[in-house]
Amino acid sequence: MTDNRAIEDHLREEYFRLLPDIRRVAEYLEAEVKYFLLPIRRKLDRYEQVVVTSRVKDCDSALEKLRRKQEGATFDTEQPTLYTLRDLSDLAGVRVLAFPSGRFAEVDDEIRKRFESWEADPISLGEAETALVHRYSGYCREASDSVRGEIQIVPMLIGLFWEVEHSAIYKPSPDLKSVATDPEMRQCASKVYEALRDFERQFEFLLGDQKLGNR
Amino acid sequence: MVQAIDGKWKILREAEYTYDFRRMVYLNRRTKKVFSFEFVEDHSESEVQRCIDEPSNGAEWRFYFNSPPSASVQRELENVLG
Repeated sequence: MTDNRAIEDHLREEYFRLLPDIRRVAEYLEAEVKYFLLPIRRKLDRYEQVVVTSRVKDCDSALEKLRRKQEGATFDTEQPTLYTLRDLSDLAGVRVLAFPSGRFAEVDDEIRKRFESWEADPISLGEAETALVHRYSGYCREASDSVRGEIQIVPMLIGLFWEVEHSAIYKPSPDLKSVATDPEMRQCASKVYEALRDFERQFEFLLGDQKLGNR
Repeated sequence: MVQAIDGKWKILREAEYTYDFRRMVYLNRRTKKVFSFEFVEDHSESEVQRCIDEPSNGAEWRFYFNSPPSASVQRELENVLG
């Protein structure tokens, strides 16, 4: 019988075997996304932003994520061969932060068109009826056949909130990531998303008013 | 959707369940019942309520999961949940 540590050791070995591929996918995907978004980025107004970044998921975060994917967040020690980090779609990730929502939609249209064979997995946040974050995953065959890449398109204010939250809490302690699933934490996060959405809506409303007034 | 979670969480909290974020389960140590995060997400408020109301002798842990946990996962959870 295997124990949890043996499963984790096996997954750590796998991670470092995959690492060159993960890096290649992240670099390739970032370059490709930046290239596809060039026409949009070149015509941005001064207050508008489209920022593309990439990241390689670190080893502990990858293990934690795989554990959280199991129901009861527990590995079955009697079936160690069930687990592979290749089941994660975000070992190599590209995030596009866009502001305001008009640019967000434009970026999403472009990415969806360019990566039409990729699997879409949008995320709803809080009480929003429509998806707030668009997420696509698939293989960049030019970079790797074994590691999938993920592209997230995120409203800029929410993305920046995530970055603060991540660097303050989850980066130092990946095992705390599941705190975000706590029902009361989800309610708190929902209020933050709602406030950020309202802020962006009001900004766009005023801006639209201003533009009409200038005509 | 937070609204949907709100309702289920209210039902669970009223039945004295707590949330263990490391194992992502709702549990009641007195009735020895464990609901996985996924099970609660995927079932309606009335289904969750029905499971809460099922009689329990409080002797052995009962797991409400979408896929029944294996014996070793049950053992591990029983160890960590006390």
